[in-house]
Order: sequence, then C-alpha cells, then structure tokens
Amino acid sequence: MDWRLWSLKKSIWVFHVNTGACNNCDIEIVNLLTPKFDVERFGMKLVGSPRHADALLVTGGGTRQAAIRLREVYRQTAKPCVVFCMGACACGMGIFEKGYHMAGPIDSIVRQVDPHAIIAYVPGCPPKPEAMIAGVVKALGVLQPKEKYATERIGQPVVADPR
Amino acid sequence: MQPNELDNLLSPIRDKLTGIERKSDTRVFLPCEAEHVSEICRFLFEDLGLRFVISTGIDAQDCFEVLHHFSDDESGCFVTVKAFIRDREAPVLDSITPVIPGAEWIECEMHDLLGIEFRNHPHMRRLILSDDWPDGVYPLRKEIRT
Repeated sequence: MDWRLWSLKKSIWVFHVNTGACNNCDIEIVNLLTPKFDVERFGMKLVGSPRHADALLVTGGGTRQAAIRLREVYRQTAKPCVVFCMGACACGMGIFEKGYHMAGPIDSIVRQVDPHAIIAYVPGCPPKPEAMIAGVVKALGVLQPKEKYATERIGQPVVADPR
Repeated sequence: MQPNELDNLLSPIRDKLTGIERKSDTRVFLPCEAEHVSEICRFLFEDLGLRFVISTGIDAQDCFEVLHHFSDDESGCFVTVKAFIRDREAPVLDSITPVIPGAEWIECEMHDLLGIEFRNHPHMRRLILSDDWPDGVYPLRKEIRT
C-alpha cells in the first residue's frame, strides 16, 4: 500500500468538479494556476479526465442534478484519491442548506459511493488561493505512510510534506 | 411617458385592462384578467414595438400573478402586464411564446416552479428542475415546506 500512497502524494493531478457553485470558487481555483500562485511547482495540475486524477476539487453545494454526476465522477476517479471540498457550499451547503434543489453536502454524496473516502475541507466564500494551497498541504501531511521508505529512497521529503 | 400620452397609446386595449397603475414616469403596471393577456402582450410587442424583458411568476396565496415586463427603450419606460389567475387548483394562462419567441424559457421555468399551465406553448418541457424531481410538486408554491 505504501507505494500507492507515495504515488498519490508525489504530484497530485486534480480534476475540477462544479456541483452548482456560483463560479467564484472556480475562479479562485483557476487563479491557483496563474504565475502568482503557480501550483504546478508542487506538481499539481488540472487534468481533463477523472481517470487521470489523484484528487477531485469539488466546488458548489451539490444540487440534486449534479449529485448523480458527482457520484459517477467519483466512481471513475483512479483510487486511491482525495476529495477536496472547496468553499463554504461544498463543506456544508452554505446558504443553500434548506434549498429544495439540494442533495446534501459533498461529503455525504461522496460517502454514498465510498464510505471510506478521504475528504478534506477548505472553507471560505471563496477560500483564498493561499488557503486552498494550505488545505492541500495539510491534507497531504495527514496522509502519512507508516513506513518512510518512500521518502528515504527519493532522498528528499515528499512534496508538500510538512514534517 | 406623460399620462395623457400613455392613455392615447393604450386606448385600443383599454377595455381589456382592469386599470392603469402609474407608479412614476417610467414605471407602469397594466393589471388584467388571465384571458386577455396574450392579446395585450401582442399589442404592446407588435403594435407599440416594446421590447420583451422578462416575466415573473408570483404565488399570491389566493391567486397566481404572472407579470410580463416590457421596456420602451426610447423613453426608458417599463410597462408590466400583470395577469391574475384566479383558479389555484388548475392555473392556466395563454402563452405569449407564439407571439414573442423570447418568452419560451421563462414560461417553462414558471411551469416548473409554480405549476402554471401555458396554453399553446410550442415546446413545454422540464427546464430547470432536476431530472429526478417528482411530478406535480412545484417548489415555489406557498404550501411547500422544506
């Protein structure tokens, strides 16, 4: 299992899923790719298919129409994978909590498919790009392999590993 | 638009209106009953050449109101046709889409959310509710509680 975790953490390719966001979080995610924040220096990259992705960046509260698609995208994502809930809506539906069109927050939708999904939360409306980077770094720090041979073999710390 | 100018313009359809509410120089409401709405909108759109902006559907407890908003771009005057649908059990209104194609989607939306039936609508279908939404449940009606 160790090499799978190492390959998950080494350079995260992310797939962006909008489940009914107002586009503000999406713009901040695009902002991450610009030269100012430049997450590609961490090996993070937006990819066009969930089959290529290590992580899902989910924005929006999860509408009834989008929940079916989100579950399908999660099924297609290569495992192991991490789900990042970006923004207040994705973390807990935000202001749409009692809306008739909502299917529940992102974590409960994803857990209908995989009860053991790895889910990280970045609150904010929208979260700052710095907060998003910090959230990803913290989430990766939690995902520690039990044996550290992966890091030792490379001879340098795993990317974005705070320890 | 001055009051007498407005009265002159609206004189051909004056008998179909239940009144002319003039809120200001640039804001006019034309309340009417449901059966005259398509004729009034045809007159405003084709004869007066007003621009169709948007429609609003309101659940007003005892009736439904459908407001068709028109704009006279030269004078900056907004004219709103306010149709009252008294039958809450089976609300029906004449569609204005055959005259004004731009009203197609907003009428579909009002049908989705309020359950108002639009007679002679060319392409009525579910537009904005999710595919698994139950039939016959209209989320913006007053009796719906979340």
